[in-house]
Amino acid sequence: MTDTMQSETDEVLREICVLLEAHNPNHIAITEETDLSADLNIDSVAAMDVIMNIEDKFEIDIPLNQVGELRSVRDLAEVVRAQLKDG
Amino acid sequence: MSNVTPTSNGSLPLRRGEFETIAEGLDYAARGETGCNFFSSRGGLEQALAYRDIRERAVDLARAFARAGIPRGERLAIIAETSPDFLIFFFACQYAGLVPVPLPLSVNLGGREAYVERLRNMMMRADARLAVAGPELVGYLEAAAKGLKVDFLGAPDEFYSLPSEGGELRPLTSDEPCYIQYSSGSTSLPRGVLVTQRAITENARAIGQHGLQLRPGDRSANWLPLYHDMGLVGFCLTPVMNQVTIDYLASTAFARRPLVWLKIMSEHGCSISFSPTFGYELCTRVSGRIDPSSLDLSRWRVAGIGGEMVRPSVLRDFAECFAASGFDETAFVPSYGLAESTLAVSFTPLGRGVKTDRISREAYARSAIAIPANGNGSAQSSRAFVKCGGALPGHRIEIRGEDNEALPDRRIGWVCISGPSLMRGYYDDPEATRSVFTPDGWLNTGDMGYLVDGELVITGRSKDLIICNGRNIWPQDLEWAVESRCGVSPGHVAAFSVDDDEGLERIVVVLETRSRDAETLRAFSREVASVITAMAGVGGELVLAPPRSLTFTSSGKLSRAAAKADYLAGRIEDISGDLPAPASVEPEVRLAAGAGS
Repeated sequence: MTDTMQSETDEVLREICVLLEAHNPNHIAITEETDLSADLNIDSVAAMDVIMNIEDKFEIDIPLNQVGELRSVRDLAEVVRAQLKDG
Repeated sequence: MSNVTPTSNGSLPLRRGEFETIAEGLDYAARGETGCNFFSSRGGLEQALAYRDIRERAVDLARAFARAGIPRGERLAIIAETSPDFLIFFFACQYAGLVPVPLPLSVNLGGREAYVERLRNMMMRADARLAVAGPELVGYLEAAAKGLKVDFLGAPDEFYSLPSEGGELRPLTSDEPCYIQYSSGSTSLPRGVLVTQRAITENARAIGQHGLQLRPGDRSANWLPLYHDMGLVGFCLTPVMNQVTIDYLASTAFARRPLVWLKIMSEHGCSISFSPTFGYELCTRVSGRIDPSSLDLSRWRVAGIGGEMVRPSVLRDFAECFAASGFDETAFVPSYGLAESTLAVSFTPLGRGVKTDRISREAYARSAIAIPANGNGSAQSSRAFVKCGGALPGHRIEIRGEDNEALPDRRIGWVCISGPSLMRGYYDDPEATRSVFTPDGWLNTGDMGYLVDGELVITGRSKDLIICNGRNIWPQDLEWAVESRCGVSPGHVAAFSVDDDEGLERIVVVLETRSRDAETLRAFSREVASVITAMAGVGGELVLAPPRSLTFTSSGKLSRAAAKADYLAGRIEDISGDLPAPASVEPEVRLAAGAGS
């Protein structure tokens, strides 16, 4: 991985963590390993908020079939990177 | 991109549901200019199809089914996305003599496995020989169909490319089925409601002529999922049978951007739309994102509510918030219905708004009688329930007691219904069918309520069913998942819901454990939170209880009703309070409740 790619990757992760802070009432440290439903207070309504905010932030569309696969912050970051690359 | 279909037909007279089959209704609607419009998640028009276009494509596909030698009566399972393809396949089945089986869409984070399992059980129970899903979801369907006898499975385009020339049309006739709908039953034992052509045409006629009193100039908007009876019957089949134009927004899009629903209604002058209470709540919650006065909701004359308990304060908030948009709260129309009666049972009178009946809490709890509360009964001594209107013409509602005897007004009992819209039964499940019909042929809805001044009032459900954000959740599904994830043996987990004074439900899971190890208990809490989110899409509360906290019936079955009563009375000890707060995970083992963020 080149340095630029590495920093873009970090940027995506950082932005996602910022957006997720709204759903982190217990102020845990959000990392790639953080489980969206078990560690954060994200129910289905909040999930749609998160997805919408991420879509607007990165100007991408997260496909419906990917939502069921999203368990961790890492999964979320990977979907965003994949969509950014496709877009 | 083409323009939206018009609100009214030019020369074709409005015929309100006067048809014997769905195919006949679509044949008539296809002679006009009205139809269906599909909007993107940001509100842009993606596709507009007149009923004429939908019929043409459906007929073509039906011919292809016939040419492929698919026998009449076979079931076609289809993931019910809000898309032209779903409509085309549903109607093609009507012309080809096949029975469509709409399947749900998953939106829960991390819910893939639970979703595939659900699809699989539904396809198996319906003995589906054909299965269709859009390109994004066909992978789930393939996973779900593994090992089942599905002869044709694919994305819509694979079916459209089949040769159709010379294929014969063999429409479903008035005494045949129309579709199978999964709206009740647990994940492992889903119950498919078999709705006949007679039932759907009778219901669509009653809704069009009486419930909505449709007239030229009406236009509907819908974000409700088409695998749900309120979406499928209310906002797909009823509009076809009454030649009404529909503006569609996908449910997933609505969940992300609720206000797009209102923008579409404003822009296109829609007069009819329905939602469970939570849909109105979502709009109010995000109303800060727009200026309400930029919307025109003054033409919205039927703002229906159904699908879960009607919560008056939420509706009041919505009306206040969007008064600046010209929304009139007398447009609210509380209604009652269920898939087992196709959809609609009762509507409140149009133009009246939400009316409640305030009753004494004590008489309600002690003797199951709904006695009006004195003058200004306080919130402690009284509780208000929403009136849901009288039975549609040709339909009857009775409240019955434990021995199936009819009860007088203001006595609380089982809500039972009869009439032409009743389902024939659950598909291929005589035992489940017998369990819901009374000996004299009425349907026991499983809901509790009473009658007053000819109107139905729903007070709750006696079944263990949990409903959150309009979604049905079976407690045993949650319990099994918690048992397997936490490695506890069956009978040590109980799931139920408790509601607040307006019927908003919150999931509670009680887990019995001997463990006092903080790490183990914390792991339980994590697993349970994740199970509830994946299966129900909402948060919940976990109570970690010592052994023998749960009650069993004499036949050895877990009593959720007793667990709930014990929980509400504070008789279940919660050992999580003894845990030391961990440094990096949640400071409390109790999880945040409710759907709020």
